[in-house]
Amino acid sequence: MARPDESGAEWSVLRPPTGPTIPLARLAPEAALRRLELTIVRRLEGFLHGDHLGLLPGAGSDTNDARVYQPGQDDVRKIDWAVTARTTVPHVRDTMADRELEVWALLDVTPSMNWGTEGVTKRDLGIAAIATIGFLSQRMGDRFGGMMMLPDQVKRLPARSGRTALYGLLRKMLVEPIVPDHAPGDLELADGIEHMTRSQRRRGMRVIVSDFLTPGDSELDPEVPPPWEKAVRRLAVRNQVLCVEVVDRHELELPDVGEMLIHDPETSFARYVNTSDDAARRRMDAATRAQRERVRVALRRAGAGHIQLRTDRDWVADIARFVLNYRRIAGMLHQPPQGVSK
Amino acid sequence: MIPEFENPERLWTLLLLPVLVIVYLVLLRLKGRVALRFTNTGVLNRVVGAQRRWTRHLAVAMSLASLVALGLAYANPLGTERQPRERATVVLVVDTSLSMSAEDVEPSRLEAAKAAAGTFVENLPESFNVAVVALSGRPSIVVPPTTDRGVTQRAIAALELADGTAIGDSIDAALRAVDQAPPGEDDEEPAPAMVVLLSDGASTEGAAPDQAVSRAKGRDIPVFTIAYGTQNGFVDIDGQRENVAPDTATLERIAVETGGRSVDADDAESLATAYRQIGSVVGYEDVKKPITAQYAFAALGFAIVAALGAVMMAARWPR
Repeated sequence: MARPDESGAEWSVLRPPTGPTIPLARLAPEAALRRLELTIVRRLEGFLHGDHLGLLPGAGSDTNDARVYQPGQDDVRKIDWAVTARTTVPHVRDTMADRELEVWALLDVTPSMNWGTEGVTKRDLGIAAIATIGFLSQRMGDRFGGMMMLPDQVKRLPARSGRTALYGLLRKMLVEPIVPDHAPGDLELADGIEHMTRSQRRRGMRVIVSDFLTPGDSELDPEVPPPWEKAVRRLAVRNQVLCVEVVDRHELELPDVGEMLIHDPETSFARYVNTSDDAARRRMDAATRAQRERVRVALRRAGAGHIQLRTDRDWVADIARFVLNYRRIAGMLHQPPQGVSK
Repeated sequence: MIPEFENPERLWTLLLLPVLVIVYLVLLRLKGRVALRFTNTGVLNRVVGAQRRWTRHLAVAMSLASLVALGLAYANPLGTERQPRERATVVLVVDTSLSMSAEDVEPSRLEAAKAAAGTFVENLPESFNVAVVALSGRPSIVVPPTTDRGVTQRAIAALELADGTAIGDSIDAALRAVDQAPPGEDDEEPAPAMVVLLSDGASTEGAAPDQAVSRAKGRDIPVFTIAYGTQNGFVDIDGQRENVAPDTATLERIAVETGGRSVDADDAESLATAYRQIGSVVGYEDVKKPITAQYAFAALGFAIVAALGAVMMAARWPR
């Protein structure tokens, strides 16, 4: 039953895919992304000299507060003459250290991500999103690391800098064996995020790529926080968090395919559903919208950036549009909680 | 009711059905493995709720019913159909014992019986051979089997009272009369024979009827009996009044054992009715005819319903 054409993501409706549905070369148009830049608003810590604002004073290009000149300690070349003239006391202008950015991307590879009806599975769309964000954050010395959340463990791909290393990371994500349906293990998205919070202490950017669906969860009320919300909130205390929600068109619009036995790749759910029932389909679409709204509200509450990508749309364009808009809203969106430095 | 079949050995094909059912169940199992994957089943289950599932069962049940009907049709089921008989020999046994002079039936039992028998003979198809046997102490064949109705009618009209009632001997006489029937012209097989026995009293002479009955049964000749007269009919014989009630139990037993039918008659009208009833049985025969078409039609109906169910289930119903 092998299909002659290249992708075959549609077959993921019947059985788990056997491999990636998109080649490495098509993950992201590197050249086109060169002029875009991901806005980093949170301050970073690190050892190297980079392009982003650091947390602590040090040699850098960004000016900070002026303070009284300490003879013997401060460089006279740093005296701020305008302030000295106004106060008649010699002042120096401090600078903040410029640091490198460390980005960690958590990819959800649980069986529900091995699904897609429009040429690419959600998992591969997630990898493409990581590729795009990776190329957007390729500045001097910036490092990009990856984590893959399997049902039974979280795999870590070490952070390295440079586009070659990024390609290596993406290739590893693509060739990672597909998790079979009903694979043993009880890791949930919240566990994966907690693992990332614990294992990567250095401030930076965190990208979470998932469908944000909890298996078997039928809650629609946005007031009820989803199980992963607390983990995202904790992660956002010290990091700039970007959540990439990958969905398929037919998750949002239940297709009319007659009476079908439908089962879940993760839970034991299996039953016949008559998808030709118009009223039921309308109810389902409304419920799905409410569910996605709940995800959106929960991510906003947790102080994380939120991109929704669809398998039937051009993810590069969607991310580019998001990044352009993000320049304006990032500062407000990623306000740290009270008592935590920016 | 299980019909008869012309080719009952073909019913073995019905054994395929359990095999089909097993294959269906196995396929269901396999299908369960390749079911549609869907990620958001928690919400789906909550939203969709209980749906009617009867179309699936209907389609499967109807397919099976259709296959059963087809299997039965393949075995050529036979139905019975009433057809007017072409030819037959009817032996009319009329009681002429003294009890027939009783007058509980107007004008007397014998006269009424003669009239009714005459009408009965008249209404029989012309090709039937009719013989008349007078039932008395010494039964005799009054008219051997003949198609000449005039002879028969005259003989019936000329019946006279005689002594005694020998039912067993009269059945034997009737069987002898059957033997005298002329053979068919084109086929050697003698025409089917029937005995219509009218009696108004218990057997008083001769052998008990049982042996004669078993002989009739052995020759496959049904004996239709008419228990004639009222329970309080009487005759005056030699100045003594005697009750002459019909022996309904014996007559009924005779009829049942030989595969005939027994009727009671206690006046002229009910006697005519009794003869009409017997005439309708005697004049027709049950013929086995294949009714394959009916079964095929039932199978077609089931198949159409099953097909509609399958269409509803599998594909989009046109709206």
